[in-house]
This record gives sequence, C-alpha cells and structure tokens, in this order.
Amino acid sequence: MKKKEPTFEERLTRLQSIVTSLENGNSPLEESVALYKEGLAHVAACRKQLEQARHDIRLCTEAGTEPFDAQEQDGE
Amino acid sequence: MDAILSVRQVTEHLRQAVEGRFPYVWIRGEITNLSRPSSGHVYFSLKEDDCLLNCVWFRRQQKDETFDPLTGEVWEDGPRPSLARTMENGQTIVCAGRLTVYGARGQYQMIVDLAQADGLGLWHQEFEALKRKLAAEGLFDPARKRPIPHNPGRVVVITAPNGAAIRDFIRISSSRGLGAEIRIFPVPVQGEEAPPRIVEALDRAGSEGWAEVVVLIRGGGSVQDLWAFNDERVARAVHCCPIPVLTGIGHEIDHSITDFTADYAAATPSHTAQLLWQERHVLEQHVDGMELALKSAFRRRLDALQLSLDHISRSLTLLSPLARLRLQEERLLTLTQRLHVAIGHELEEKERSASLLSSRLREDTVLPEALTDTLETLSLRLAHAGENRLKQAERDVESAKAALLPLGRMTGMKQEQELARMELRLQALDPFEPLRRGYALACDEKGEILRSVTGTAPGRTITVHLADGRILGTVTEVSDDSLPTDASR
Repeated sequence: MKKKEPTFEERLTRLQSIVTSLENGNSPLEESVALYKEGLAHVAACRKQLEQARHDIRLCTEAGTEPFDAQEQDGE
Repeated sequence: MDAILSVRQVTEHLRQAVEGRFPYVWIRGEITNLSRPSSGHVYFSLKEDDCLLNCVWFRRQQKDETFDPLTGEVWEDGPRPSLARTMENGQTIVCAGRLTVYGARGQYQMIVDLAQADGLGLWHQEFEALKRKLAAEGLFDPARKRPIPHNPGRVVVITAPNGAAIRDFIRISSSRGLGAEIRIFPVPVQGEEAPPRIVEALDRAGSEGWAEVVVLIRGGGSVQDLWAFNDERVARAVHCCPIPVLTGIGHEIDHSITDFTADYAAATPSHTAQLLWQERHVLEQHVDGMELALKSAFRRRLDALQLSLDHISRSLTLLSPLARLRLQEERLLTLTQRLHVAIGHELEEKERSASLLSSRLREDTVLPEALTDTLETLSLRLAHAGENRLKQAERDVESAKAALLPLGRMTGMKQEQELARMELRLQALDPFEPLRRGYALACDEKGEILRSVTGTAPGRTITVHLADGRILGTVTEVSDDSLPTDASR
C-alpha cells in the first residue's frame, strides 16, 4: 500500500476539524454530505482500530527476537 | 480575649506545628545523658556542638535485629542485639523517628523508632553525594526533561524478563492503547552485574533509534536491591539516551538517582503503563463523543441549508415574472394618472390663453376697407340664399302634409282597435270579475283577503263577497282539505 493509513490520533484530529467546518463553515450541501460521510468512515475506522488493538510483545536478546509470554515467565 | 492563649492551647499549637513539620526524620548526633531505668525505656540526648535534642526510645520499639533495617538485608549470622542495649555515651548514631512536644516538661523531644551506628549511614552519604554532584552538573534540570509520547506505538522496556515488574506492566497495558510493539531488553536488575547491563541496554535502544520511548522498570525491594539504580553509570546513561526515558523503580516511596535523571519518574512499573497509554474504553468514549458531535453538526448544517432554501424560494417568488408584471402595471397606472393630470393642466393653460387671445382679437377687430365690399357681396348672397332656402322648405312642408294625412287616419283606426282590445284584457284582470261567474271572496275582520285556512279560526268572523253583495258569518270549523287542482282553474 502506497498511502499510509492515518493513525487513530490523526483520525480524531480530522474528525474534530470536520465537526468544526460543519458547524462554522458555509459548505454547500454536496460538500457537507461528503464531509459527513468521511467523518462516519473515520468513526468506523477508529472503532475497528480499538477492537483489534493488541500489543505485540517481543523479547530481544543477542540471539534475536522471540514472542514474549508473561504467563510462561510467571510459571517459574 | 482571643489573643490570650492558655498554656494548654499554646502547647497544643506547638505540638501540631512540630509534628506537622517533622513527621519522620533521620537525625545524626552524639549520645549524651544516657539512662536506662527499670521500665526498659531508654532516655538519652543527641548533641552537636552547643545544641541538644532529648530522645526517648520506648521498650516496644527496641527489637533484636534479624535484618538490616536500612537495606532490608537479613543478617546471615543470626539476630543482632538492639542498639538500645549496646549504645554508649559519646557514640555517634543515626536515629529515625518523629519529633513531638512533651507538654508535662515543656520540651520537645524525639520518639525514636530505630537507631543505627553511624557507619551504616554511608549508603545514605554516598546517595546524597552523588545526588549533589549530578544536580550541580544539571542532570536533574527540569528544562531538559523531554515529554513522554502519548499512546506510543513502539516501546522498549528494559527490565528483568522474569520479574514482577514486567508482569504488572503487561497486565496494565493489555487494556490500554491502540496496539503497540513492545520490545523487552532483558537485564538483571540487582547485583554487581546489573549497572553495566542496564547501561548496555540503554545504549542499544538509543543507537537503534527504533523506539519512541524507553521504559526502565524494577519491582519493589530493599534499598540494597534497588541500589543498581543509584549507580552513577546508570544515571548518566539514562541522561544521555537520545530517546525519552520513563522509569518505574520500586514502590511509591522509593526514589533513585536514576529516577532523578529520567525524563519522567513514575511511581511504580504499573504506573509507567498507565502513563503511556490511555485506557481503551476512554478512547472508545472519545470516538462516541466525536460521532455524536459529527451527527449533530451535520443535522444543524442540513437545517441551515433548508432554511436558506426556504429563504431563496421566497425571494424567487418575489422576483418572478408575474410579480414583475404586477409591478409594471402599477407603474403604468401611476404614470397614466400623472399624464391625465398633466394634460388637464396643459388644456386649461391652452384654454386660458385661447380665451385671452380671442378677447384681445375682439377688441382689436377693425375691418379694413377692402373687406367691406366683400362683406356686402356676401350679405346679398346670404339674403338670396336665405329666401331660396325658405321657399324650398315651404314646398317640403306641403308635400309632407299631403303624404301624412292619409297615414294619420289609418293610424287612428288602428289605435281604436288596440284600445278595445286593452279594455277587454283589463276586464279579465278585474278581481271582481270572477264573482260574476259565481266565485266568492272571503275576507277577515280587517278586510284582508283570506288566501289560506290558516288566516282564520273557529269563532272568528269573516265577510264573504259575492257578485251582488256580501255575507257576514262566523267560522264554525276550519279544515285544510284542498279543492281538486283542476277545479281551481
């Protein structure tokens, strides 16, 4: 993918600016609808990001990196 | 008066002031006035030059030591007798405890919790010396602290892989953030080996430059356990790290030199995870709030657009050709009226000047000689023409008379016939004519013609007119049986 996906924070910032321009601007109907659709897409993408959020935890030793399981370490 | 305090009041104020200001202190001094009454409590004073502090060490606080109270290290060669039993006048010791006011004697004193021979205070001295040195170099300068990134995506954690710290960190972070990559650099966190390995890990994180933030954590332990984090090499490596460093070492009460040089010192390992990432449900709330704001902003925008549409449509009606036509008609009417008024004025003006001219003309009329002849000729011609015209008219009257006379006679006969016909028709319309043919006319007391049975009632009088006179009678019965229709015609 050439274009980088916007981050969660970037989406929130964009959402805020969409809300502001809908509130203050004099955008014509087509533009307002387009902004609204874009906003809804950001909301959905943010929700998806939150649902799928998992930390990727790796242990980095001189030998290389390996997935780290805290429970495994806990066992001792 | 409020300004005058009782002895008890002032003593209480002093107690609160002293206890509030010195809740727990470490004090070094030389023992003097030592006494051990049979109660088991130990009384002594700490002296330095010409200053003296009275101390009491109650029996219940005096315990044989099974471990070093300062470092937490257990004495491997068995419990040691409390200093309370071995201390002597002239010995320099470090006492920990709280200051209070002893009202009965009007003096302040120290309640001792524990005491150590001064030699053991070296850890503390070392700590303070390093702290002073690094502070002087500006390593703790708040101005050089870098902000810790918010919701970072790439994090290096330097800690023991099997410690409680990393487990707490992972547990707390699992419900937070948007999914970060976390790389753990395993190091020992206590012992001789710890400082160089921690420095190495910090250097590696710094040179890789991958992480947004480096987290250095270690679980709680004794002062000795945490001593690696008071190591100058570690403190300097944290200071030099090109990536912001967040520390979480020991418990809330613990402070290490490394904490002072870090960009931010969290209270505990769990706390570092809390600082790095927001709870996911809080982020969900943000998104929800944003969605609501978006929807209501859009609704308001639509309402505003609807409003301007209504406005435009109203304006359009006003500007329509029909409205323009009406406007033009009105203008035309106004102009016409104005024109009439203007013409009226003009006409009056002309009439006035015409009459003026004509009156002036009459005054000025002087017929010239040349015209007189013409006038006479014309008069003669006029007289002849008048005579001729008169004769012609007389002839016309005669011939008209001859034509009119027979016509007049014929017309007279026609009119007589018409008159007789009219008379007959008039007779037919006489209301009394039907009486001669046998009909009767009934009237009430007032002489009004009765047209309906409802016009009278039994007992009332009626007058019945016939062709040759009238009958006066009283009504005995009224019934509304109508006559057959064809009989009435």
